[in-house]
Amino acid sequence: MKLHQKGFLLVALSKADSLWDESLIAQTFEEYGSAGEYAENTIRIALDELAAGGLITRLEEKLDVKNGRQKLIFKYQLSNFGRSRMQDTGLL
Amino acid sequence: MSNQTPTALSLALNRHYGRSQRWGFAWALWTAILWGAWYVPGTALWSEHPYVDIPADAQSLRLAATAVMTWVHAITVFLFLLLWNAVLGKVKDYGRTIVRFRKISKWYALASLCGGPMAIFGSYMAMGFIGPVFAAVTSLFYPVIGAVIARLWYKEKISTRAAIGMAIIIFGGVVIYGPSMFGEMDPNNHHAWLGYLGGIISAIGWGAEGAVAGRAMDVSDPDVGIHCRFTFEIAFWGVFILPFLAIFTDLPIKDLIVGTVTHGNAMLWITLAAACHAYCYTAFYKSFSLIGVGRGEAIGNLYAVFALIFIAAFTLQLPEWYFIVGLVLTVLGSFVMFSESAESVSELRDHS
Repeated sequence: MKLHQKGFLLVALSKADSLWDESLIAQTFEEYGSAGEYAENTIRIALDELAAGGLITRLEEKLDVKNGRQKLIFKYQLSNFGRSRMQDTGLL
Repeated sequence: MSNQTPTALSLALNRHYGRSQRWGFAWALWTAILWGAWYVPGTALWSEHPYVDIPADAQSLRLAATAVMTWVHAITVFLFLLLWNAVLGKVKDYGRTIVRFRKISKWYALASLCGGPMAIFGSYMAMGFIGPVFAAVTSLFYPVIGAVIARLWYKEKISTRAAIGMAIIIFGGVVIYGPSMFGEMDPNNHHAWLGYLGGIISAIGWGAEGAVAGRAMDVSDPDVGIHCRFTFEIAFWGVFILPFLAIFTDLPIKDLIVGTVTHGNAMLWITLAAACHAYCYTAFYKSFSLIGVGRGEAIGNLYAVFALIFIAAFTLQLPEWYFIVGLVLTVLGSFVMFSESAESVSELRDHS
């Protein structure tokens, strides 16, 4: 059975040093066969929640222009706390 | 990058953090409104068959009725949450989360034990042995317990400003209920200690629920988490508590269940109560993810204000003067918490 979405995002970040949210979104779309702006926003909210909880940290941010609209994008890294919480919950 | 000035970036960042904070507080406020509204159908249910037939002094029968009522209510809440997650496209995520019991969903099971059987049972003891007003006052203290557990267990930050806000909200709650609470104190009541114990159990139950659920919510979705929590609550009542009562006591559990589901009015109130409760809890869990357990619970505490407003609106009984004082205090307290800077709310933990 596939991992739940937040679990998948954490595992993806644990395999890389750091990742831009755009890349996390692309990986999630591929894993679950999802697409579209709604699914993308759901992933961004999940990342916001993970960052608010201190499981992941924002290394860098920049303004990206997509479809003529400015968008704030972040580069994320798994924190030590996130790593230990992943171990507690069997994700690592 | 070339045409990107630092000001535009920092403005966008501020907007982003501000938005997260506003959503977190908006969810917490929804919790308070729906929780307050819940008291109207929740109280009205006691005046319908089969519950209206139970004498006030039949303690064990009232307890059994509470258990049955809570179970049917939990099943209805589950159905509303299923609708919610179906619309959000999260039903598959629910399945993927609940199957990981040993590592993840067991925390939701524990949260349901704290917030369901433990808090409700404790609250009932407080109501039965001292009075409903006392029960409501002790419940108002649960954010303090939640914040302290979250602080000790996973080092969630409580800023001085948030602590002051929480203190004002709790003081406001005491002012709302305090004057009528003195009327309930009876020196001849030798069972009063059971009520005090029950009050403490309910405050610990609700306070611990947020902190325990927060642990699982770190790695899972709040909408899915609340769905897991109610799945386990249904199991606790339906698989353990009610069968135990039915087999080992002579309480009419089966009659109460049949009586509840066959009375249209009882089911109507349960459905209304469950709709409030389902989305109140959804909002509650979503706020935890964005603004933390301590703040989410403190703003959620405004339920006392909304409860009195809704009850006044439906019964046309105007509140006493001290209610207005309590209202001002609780609203002031939540503004003290809300005025915290957006950046500090976005990083809730000491860990990094």
